[in-house]
Amino acid sequence: MKPPLPTSLPRLLVHPWIWRMAWRDSRRERQRLAVFAASIVVGIAALVSIHALRATLERGISLQARELLGSDLQISARLPFDHTARAAFAAASTAADYETNFTTMMTFPSGEARLVQLRLLGGAFPFYGKISTQPADAWAALREQTAPVLFLEPALLDQFGVAIGDSVRLGEADLVISGTVLQTAPRTGRFAGFAPDVYANRAALDATGLLTRTSLAGYHAHLQLPAEAEPSGVAERLRALFPEVNWEMETADSRRDQIGEVLNRFEQFLSLIALFSLVLGAIGVASAMHAQIRRRRQSIAILRCLGLSSRGALAVYFVQAAVLGLLATLAGALLGVALHAGIVAWFREDLPVALALLPPAGIILRTASVGFLACLGFALLPLLQVPDIPPLAVLRDNSGGISRLRLVLRALPVGLFLFALLTLLSILGSTSLQRGFAFPLGLAGVFLLLLLAGQLLILTARHGAKLFPGYLTRQGLANLFRPQNQTLLFVVSLGLGVCLLTLTVLARAQVLRQIAVTESGTGPNLYLVDVQPDQADDLRGLLAERLLPVVESAPMVNMRLVSVKGTEVRQLRDEGRVPAWVLRREFRSSYRTTFNATEREIAGQWPPAPWQPDDPIPLSLETGMAADLNVGLGDRLVVDIQGRTLEAKIVHLREVDWSRLNLNFFMLFPPGVLEDAPGFHVITTRLPEDTTSGRLQAAIAAKFPNVSAIDLSLILETVRELLGRVGQAVQVLSAFTIVAGIFIMTGIFLNGREQRTHDAVLLRTLGASTRQLRTILCLEFGLLGFLAALTGSLLALGAHALIARFAFSADPVFPLASVGLILLGAAALSLLMGGLLSRGVCHAPPLSILRRE
Amino acid sequence: MILQQTTEPAPAKSEMTAPILAVRGLGKTYTSAGHPLTVLADITFVLAPGAPCAIVGPSGSGKTTLLGLCAGLDRPTTGQVVLDGHHLSDLDEDALAALRNATTGFVFQSFQLLPSLTALENVLVPLELRGVRGAQATALDNLARVGLADRTDHYPNQLSGGEQQRVALARAFVHRPKILLADEPTGNLDDETSGPIVDMLFDLNATAGTALVLVTHDAELARRAGRVITMRGGRILSDT
Repeated sequence: MKPPLPTSLPRLLVHPWIWRMAWRDSRRERQRLAVFAASIVVGIAALVSIHALRATLERGISLQARELLGSDLQISARLPFDHTARAAFAAASTAADYETNFTTMMTFPSGEARLVQLRLLGGAFPFYGKISTQPADAWAALREQTAPVLFLEPALLDQFGVAIGDSVRLGEADLVISGTVLQTAPRTGRFAGFAPDVYANRAALDATGLLTRTSLAGYHAHLQLPAEAEPSGVAERLRALFPEVNWEMETADSRRDQIGEVLNRFEQFLSLIALFSLVLGAIGVASAMHAQIRRRRQSIAILRCLGLSSRGALAVYFVQAAVLGLLATLAGALLGVALHAGIVAWFREDLPVALALLPPAGIILRTASVGFLACLGFALLPLLQVPDIPPLAVLRDNSGGISRLRLVLRALPVGLFLFALLTLLSILGSTSLQRGFAFPLGLAGVFLLLLLAGQLLILTARHGAKLFPGYLTRQGLANLFRPQNQTLLFVVSLGLGVCLLTLTVLARAQVLRQIAVTESGTGPNLYLVDVQPDQADDLRGLLAERLLPVVESAPMVNMRLVSVKGTEVRQLRDEGRVPAWVLRREFRSSYRTTFNATEREIAGQWPPAPWQPDDPIPLSLETGMAADLNVGLGDRLVVDIQGRTLEAKIVHLREVDWSRLNLNFFMLFPPGVLEDAPGFHVITTRLPEDTTSGRLQAAIAAKFPNVSAIDLSLILETVRELLGRVGQAVQVLSAFTIVAGIFIMTGIFLNGREQRTHDAVLLRTLGASTRQLRTILCLEFGLLGFLAALTGSLLALGAHALIARFAFSADPVFPLASVGLILLGAAALSLLMGGLLSRGVCHAPPLSILRRE
Repeated sequence: MILQQTTEPAPAKSEMTAPILAVRGLGKTYTSAGHPLTVLADITFVLAPGAPCAIVGPSGSGKTTLLGLCAGLDRPTTGQVVLDGHHLSDLDEDALAALRNATTGFVFQSFQLLPSLTALENVLVPLELRGVRGAQATALDNLARVGLADRTDHYPNQLSGGEQQRVALARAFVHRPKILLADEPTGNLDDETSGPIVDMLFDLNATAGTALVLVTHDAELARRAGRVITMRGGRILSDT
């Protein structure tokens, strides 16, 4: 017999009748479906905005990478470049400029002092991008004039109430401010960001007398290369020409990657929130379709009686889900674009590159498509029941149904597809594959545990209901396990929502706590760097005069690794066997026999046993570095201390909490070895709360002009300000998670209303009072809400403990008050909904409700 | 009142040689709480094209189960059903659905209209599933013939029980089925409302050549069918 409609699902999906039927069937459900659709709108908006933001940032950084570096190749060293090096640079480039910089204290006429980054530029740099000054033509003076010239950032002038033409003190010289730099040259120094740039010419620098006394000077060569030259290739060639020096080479690409890396963590956190919102939204759609299919069971059976095939029935509801998902995706994408524009506008001033308000269309399309697919995939799970609804259901409502095993087997491909999709999204938003996989796996685990909790509740209610003598309690509990109950759906949806929301709050608290720990307590908050050995005692005396404690005082010696376990670092670098940073880094090491509070002994003995003059020097190594170098107790390292090599043997391992800003070192030597090596001291102190370091800094700058005072509170202020803005962005996006959750809750309660109305009306007809109905419904929804929220909270606490330990490498912070608030809030919301439900039933005549049904 | 003959003329009496419905040795056993429960056993009867027949019996005697099996809504445990020459056990679910659309009309005790479709759209469904052109005019005409020309745009919950059952009748006959299966068609209606419904059923049976299987408790209604199959305990007690 020729079938009335096409038989294949793809052809059915484009058949006009299927679309017409889908439209007609949705008529009485559109409001209800819209509530659920709102949840996916929110999810897709978060996803689109975050991925768009990432793309815009990458695009902005990529387009402006050369301007970010200012040259094609930047070579940095701790010592000035000699004649041979300069000749090689000149041969390799079309233009070269040299920079010398260091941090130092600048004293203003008011007596206040401030750490600044003093930069001596040749005048040609930057080759890309430009410097703008006030007065506009003043920059040329930097190169031409032999008289001292000094340019400051305008913010410094504002902060200390000085103007162009006023004098400031640098080292031994009082220098006149020649102008301000409105658009600065690309940053080079390691304190860039919180030490404002000050530009000087050679005459000014010589007058300060600082360069000969600082140990912190950095030397940079900025090269402009021929158009056809590949910067990384030139860098390699120069490295090969000068194998014995440890220069740091930076190209536009590596600068771009470096900035990208900084942004990665922020993006990763946001990506996680976006995924949370999307999954919540998709669960909303799945709940909507689940409820829709349940309500449409009779209609589907009638259509099957009238001759519609099982695939045809599936097609009708698939089309409904697809249209719902598509409309929600469109709305979500639009909202996401608007959100992106808002975030870009909000952060514009803090970012190193100019960003476009509108993201690239391709990203919107791609992200929205993935969101749509996720939405469709989740909707497909409940839709798989449609072909199993038998036409016999028109005669007997309890007919049909297939075994759970078959249901699971059928849902398996969809589940795998969703898992793959979420994994892909997670990997796209992650810095590592491992983390990319961790999220969907964790989510699947949470999902299964919530299902288990739901099943436990059903089981407990089934057996526990009999123990209660009162009818109302029994009926309330019975609602949790009787046929057509919503316990599983409710526990999974609400539990997942609470879990994700709590995790967001916990992660935020973890970051904030990290800052608070740094700020408070007994740790140092003022660092005095570059103290020459002959100045250390005087400086400690100056602190004592002002009743300030010397929290820590440590000598520092610069050194580089030469070989590890007999293998030269160059070979290790070429083989890629150890991270590049360990091999390139210039380590500042110290010597002492004691440990501070942030260090923990892991293995070996310190202070070490006496050693013979021919023996290698005992060494205490930090565990992270030991792991990166793949070394342990007994292994030997060779270090280079300004041209002199020293063999050391690892006799002790320490764990260091780097999040605390104490004076810590990767390598510690015993006293009696490094005392004569060139180096400087760092002394830390702690200023009482609510006092500023201005006067102390001014006193130090006057007496020890080469000493740099680094005020931690100023740095933390900058960090806190940025985190404040980041925090606001995170809160906006977290709010999206909450909004998605509320939409889902509302949708579930709308379904619950339908499920419970019939019973309530019957009870009402039999004479149940408003109080009795309310008790039954409140008991059911209160219990459901509390258990779902409790399970979600516990899972979040467990997950957070793991994340804190393995992702943040810190002790987990548990702000139990906030967690409790979310838990009680969700349970209260559930209870409130139960109350509202009973209100709707109690205040209308039973017949009118039955009629409406 | 006679419902409109739709797209094709009624088959001539001379062509009606093979039975429209043949049931042989039909049995159905469910498993309930781990125990087998036989609700139908050894049911055999034949229905000629255009012939009416009533199935009566007390509650639980298996009437509705039999009706479901005759329409291919469920699978028998034993025996076979041949509907319009098709062995139902040879057909898969989608072929059964297509066969129902081609041959069978249904009227249920609880009307079973699609709640989100208007009266007109409900009547249209069987024709639309067939892809019939000009279906709307036919559906409107059928609604007019059951006296609901002015209620075409009403949804089921805006109609009375009698009106809903008339819409169901219009839907059952609109595609001119060869057999109509009616499960307690007046079970939810009062005497005054059910009279015209019953008249319509028998009118169509008499004039359009549609065979009629009527499951009912109503002895009066059963007698009108002429042939009465009485069931008890899942077996045919008599076939007169």
